[in-house]
Amino acid sequence: MPVKYLAAITVAASSLSAANASEIDSARFVLSGYGDVKYETSELQDSSAYSARFVPIFLFSLSDKIHVEAETEISLNAEGETEVELEYADLHYFLTDTTTLTAGKFLVPFGQFGPNIHPSWINRSPWTPGIYGSHGSSQAMEALLPILSDVGVAIQQTFVIGNYQKIFVDLYSTNGPGIEADEHEEDLAEEATEEDGHAELPELAFEAGSGDNNKNKAFGGRVAYAMLPGIEVGTSYYSATYDDDETLDITAQGFDINLIGSHYLVRGEYIETQTDGLEEEEGENEIHTFKRDGWYLQGTLQTGKIWSSLAGTDLVLEYAETNKLAEASRWMVGVNYWLDARAVIKIAYDDTDVEEGEDDQRLAIQLSYGF
Amino acid sequence: MKQLINRTPLSPASWSILFLLMFSASWVSAEPSPINGAEVFNNNCARCHNARSLDEFSLQEWAVIMPHMREKAHLTGKETDAVMAFITLVKKGETKSASAKEGAHVLNGEALFNKYSCQGCHSVNGKGGTVGPALDTTIADKGKTFFLQKLKNPQFNNPASPMPKMPLSDEEIEALADYLSTF
Ligand code: HEC
Ligand code: HEC
Repeated sequence: MPVKYLAAITVAASSLSAANASEIDSARFVLSGYGDVKYETSELQDSSAYSARFVPIFLFSLSDKIHVEAETEISLNAEGETEVELEYADLHYFLTDTTTLTAGKFLVPFGQFGPNIHPSWINRSPWTPGIYGSHGSSQAMEALLPILSDVGVAIQQTFVIGNYQKIFVDLYSTNGPGIEADEHEEDLAEEATEEDGHAELPELAFEAGSGDNNKNKAFGGRVAYAMLPGIEVGTSYYSATYDDDETLDITAQGFDINLIGSHYLVRGEYIETQTDGLEEEEGENEIHTFKRDGWYLQGTLQTGKIWSSLAGTDLVLEYAETNKLAEASRWMVGVNYWLDARAVIKIAYDDTDVEEGEDDQRLAIQLSYGF
Repeated sequence: MKQLINRTPLSPASWSILFLLMFSASWVSAEPSPINGAEVFNNNCARCHNARSLDEFSLQEWAVIMPHMREKAHLTGKETDAVMAFITLVKKGETKSASAKEGAHVLNGEALFNKYSCQGCHSVNGKGGTVGPALDTTIADKGKTFFLQKLKNPQFNNPASPMPKMPLSDEEIEALADYLSTF
């Protein structure tokens, strides 16, 4: 996204807040967000590099019922250019006490990582779980569902069962993915054929845009059960037709868990995807469905809560694997030091083992702060 | 008894009783005891991230942040209002106790404990929240000086603590200490 959009948002935001400075009682605008700086070495890339991001969030409370939120990510790429991305920009309408409508570009409620955990001051690891893709940097593991946000509409319903139990339901319809544009390959869907008896996955473009290559919309949802304050389990579903002719589908199912103990956190997700690709058999194109799955489990021991001499520290362990067609596994171990409740220094090491391809070992030191 | 249990298909009479029960149940839950904002905070605000300190934002800013978190945390509107009321209590008190230095009112530790919703995040006698540790033996274990210091500046021994700094006077903290020494 060109920088001028950001300038426009900032100007709009500051003029809004200025307009309200006089009516002290109820503010309408808050600037929050997060930022991070990371030093990372990678065996595979044979490099070490510093990277930095600044992710401002603009919150507007237009009325009791209407809330507007926008998040932009400003980062430096490897070439030294400033990249600006619109992570989300949407409007919530609080229809009833328990129903919320959302429209715009929003974080897709599939699983927990994308909508709830991805900001670096929340994520206990300096990296994304392998199954969701690297989101910015590079990784050796091939993602299952590299989706974060998309343009469309959503509805959220909360069912309250007694004092401690809730059921969350989220349903949405968005533009969905298209086919990854590639210079030398005319039509990747057709390229995704059986080569020497080896299936090749079609490459999909999940980057959201205000347009779609077909009429078919992506559709999905998540249903979760929460036993407060300690347990949340959810199941997600996602389905889209991605090619121009509307014959090829991608569907995904997910299962996620979030456990919050007094001294530990456990987060995990399992995803299964079915991606259609065209297979040439005796001169005829046939649809072949590629199945993949993978999962990760991350455990955080809040050592600082157990031993007061270690106040502020966490010990993090994560294992992730992807199966079928792009087999890989990854171990991660990390130590975090919390400067306060929203600023953390993370030191982590990970070891990725790719079945057919190059392995990678990475080391990262990240400073992240929410504001 | 046995016969009663074996009568599987519900008779019209038992159906109507069932309906009445369900109706009254929903009726009861339609008018629940007022929602405790500190408890909602305790149950929801540390599920995805560390609970953020209330000191970080002004009351006006919290009023804009809470709808954001309402959607994230799937809170109901009433729960959101209750959390806002809790934040307001903690924040507004700040200015109040700074301006009014009169010590005329009776100091009651238990009342203060309830007023500032300590039980929203802490338990005593097995009742209360779990964001913070149980407080039954804190004073016995760690001493009164620790307690006084903790309430004056909750972050003094733990910079990552989400415990809000309450607008309490020294006398009020003493009263709380006396109350918590009774367990
Ligand atoms: C379901 C996950 C989830 C829950 C539950 C949750 N938060 Fe958050 N919170 C987030 C995320 C994600 C962000 C980062 C904002 C973003 O990226 O959109 C955030 C950001 C914040 C911020 C920074 C300001 C802002 O709005 O960005 C504050 C303050 C905050 N949360 C307070 C709370 C409070 C208070 C509660 C309890 C009512 C709560 N959170 C419950 C996920 C959650
Ligand atoms: C919003 C939640 C919250 C509220 C409200 C709250 N606390 Fe806390 N408190 C915590 C948390 C979390 C901790 C543990 C982290 C730490 O060490 O600060 C804590 C720690 C403490 C400790 C230290 C316990 C120990 O063993 O180290 C004391 C004492 C305490 N609180 C007293 C109180 C009192 C008295 C009140 C009411 C005036 C209160 N708290 C209100 C969250 C809260």
